[in-house]
Amino acid sequence: MIEIKNVSKAYRTDTIETLALQKMNLSVPSGEFLSIMGPSGCGKSTLLNIMGLIDEPSEGTVTLAGQQITDYNGTRIARFRNEQLGFIFQSFHLINDLTVVDNVELPLLYRKVGSKERRRLATEALAHVGLSNRSTHFPNQLSGGQKQRVAIARAIVGRPNIILADEPTGNLDSRMGDEIMDILLKLNEDLGTTIVMVTHDERMAKKTHRLVRLSDGERVS
Amino acid sequence: MLKNYLTLAIKVLKRKPLYTFISLFGISFTLMILMLLTSMFDAMIGNNQPVTNRDRLVIAPMLERTRTETDTIMTIDTVKLADANMRFDTSYTYEDNIVSNSNGPMSYKFVTEHLQNLDGAEYSAFYNDNSNIDGYLDGRKFSFSPYYVNADYWKILDFEFLHGGPLNEQDDEQASQAVVITDKAAKIYFGSAGASVLGQEMQLGKESFKVRGIVARPMSDSPLFAGDVYFPITKVDPRAMSDDDIQGGFSAFFMVASPDKRDALKKEIDFLSENFDMSGDEYYDAIKVYNATAIEGFAQTILQERDSERALRMLFIPVTLLLFLFVALPLINLINLNISRVYERKSEIGVRKAFGANSRDILYQFIFENLVLTFIGGIIGLALALGVISYVNANDLLGITRLSYSYQVFLYFLIVIILFGFLSGILPAYRMSRTNVADSLR
Repeated sequence: MIEIKNVSKAYRTDTIETLALQKMNLSVPSGEFLSIMGPSGCGKSTLLNIMGLIDEPSEGTVTLAGQQITDYNGTRIARFRNEQLGFIFQSFHLINDLTVVDNVELPLLYRKVGSKERRRLATEALAHVGLSNRSTHFPNQLSGGQKQRVAIARAIVGRPNIILADEPTGNLDSRMGDEIMDILLKLNEDLGTTIVMVTHDERMAKKTHRLVRLSDGERVS
Repeated sequence: MLKNYLTLAIKVLKRKPLYTFISLFGISFTLMILMLLTSMFDAMIGNNQPVTNRDRLVIAPMLERTRTETDTIMTIDTVKLADANMRFDTSYTYEDNIVSNSNGPMSYKFVTEHLQNLDGAEYSAFYNDNSNIDGYLDGRKFSFSPYYVNADYWKILDFEFLHGGPLNEQDDEQASQAVVITDKAAKIYFGSAGASVLGQEMQLGKESFKVRGIVARPMSDSPLFAGDVYFPITKVDPRAMSDDDIQGGFSAFFMVASPDKRDALKKEIDFLSENFDMSGDEYYDAIKVYNATAIEGFAQTILQERDSERALRMLFIPVTLLLFLFVALPLINLINLNISRVYERKSEIGVRKAFGANSRDILYQFIFENLVLTFIGGIIGLALALGVISYVNANDLLGITRLSYSYQVFLYFLIVIILFGFLSGILPAYRMSRTNVADSLR
């Protein structure tokens, strides 16, 4: 369950204050697959970052899994992210110097899981996205779709309750985009993972349970 | 976790060979120089044979005689040419504390009468090194530096005896025809420094001496033990033995029971100087027996400064400052390189934080990576330093001083590596660990 209440986000420079989000209210029940759409600069990614605790709201409260996060300190937020959240980014953000399986292990590294168990869970996650045979490859040896599947494996390896995906199909052609979408839908269906996805693609958005539209930092539907 | 960091660190180093080369070059070169300096300092002021109790030594190389009087000083104020004559305008002033002095080593009589039984000294060594002596063998002539030393000399200085042993009290009493020589002198004179040299005769000056012992050449030069041939003190020129003056050709050094007793002995020597009966001296009215700890003495010798504490300050403040600058410059350079290197990995830091790393994890990771880099640089620096040390020692490039490579030098070196790695890594790592995740992933 994600609960966003009266959340505003302002970016300030010396002369200008830009409001990225204005008094946003949004609630995402457990197990829902929600998509967020809107024109560039409307605050979609900001909203996702605030839900993912990687950006702080200027005002308002964020409640995740029944816990109000606003007062948490850095270490507690880091632990919460590690245990409850998984991220998928448009540009994958894989670490090029690490092999596929090492990339997937990353969240477990900060959970003090033993190396054998880490390897087992990462291999399992890679099997889930159909990339078992690529575990010792490096990201640069993979296609865009494969990279995104590695990113999904990394997002699910720690069994988070919530996955936040920022335009996961944005850099992929439609066939690969569909493949990624199928994996996310299956994940939502099989494991009941709550997924919030920012997208520009109407076709992808239609496959999700619910669509929220933003414009100029406000909800329009 | 560490394995993961290590893998990543090595990959990152391989990814940018030029950057890695520049960093490693800076680190290894700096560390090499630091190690050479440490090694040189260790050779000169470390507890190396024969001075294994450096912090228990008090040295008294010479004494100064002074006369303080009132005198008239004439000053020429102006010089004029008048009617083809030079005219001088002069003025006179009276100065109260005009000090004239004379300093130099002490006489045999002075050291044996006044410095022999000081309360604070466990052993009192006296030596005379004031001349050169020729050695003769089969029509060949060699020049040696002789040291005439008393029995306590061998008790304070812990020479490494390759063969045989030291001279003793009996040798002093009987003025024995015995010498201890260095391995270098043995090789020059006999062509070997083996045990067979013991007991052999050496023609030195007009007399013949039996070799009692062969000592290894010390690590460094020091006025305390720069000799090639060591004689019983009583074999010194008879004129030097019977000289009634208080100045002569002898220096002294003492060993106290523990380092904290040095001050008491120094005060005892000062007390002796202040209360010395000068009635026998026709000109001078006071003496001062210079005394210093070994390290003060070292600074005094290098700087030719009489005041021991001032010498120590004058030596160590610039040396520390230079060392600081020498370390600071490559350190700043490395910090700079590290900042740009870490900045390139902004997105990685963002991802790590998004998946649960806290600022401390990131800080540790980058410090660890930097330690790996400095460690590799350190190993290269160590190899280079060992190479240079061997070369310098093999070719006597520093005169008698030979660079040491003891475990202590290695230990200092390890500390330097860790400090270097830590200091050059902490600032960039700290900066990056504080970055906002959303910004890093943009």
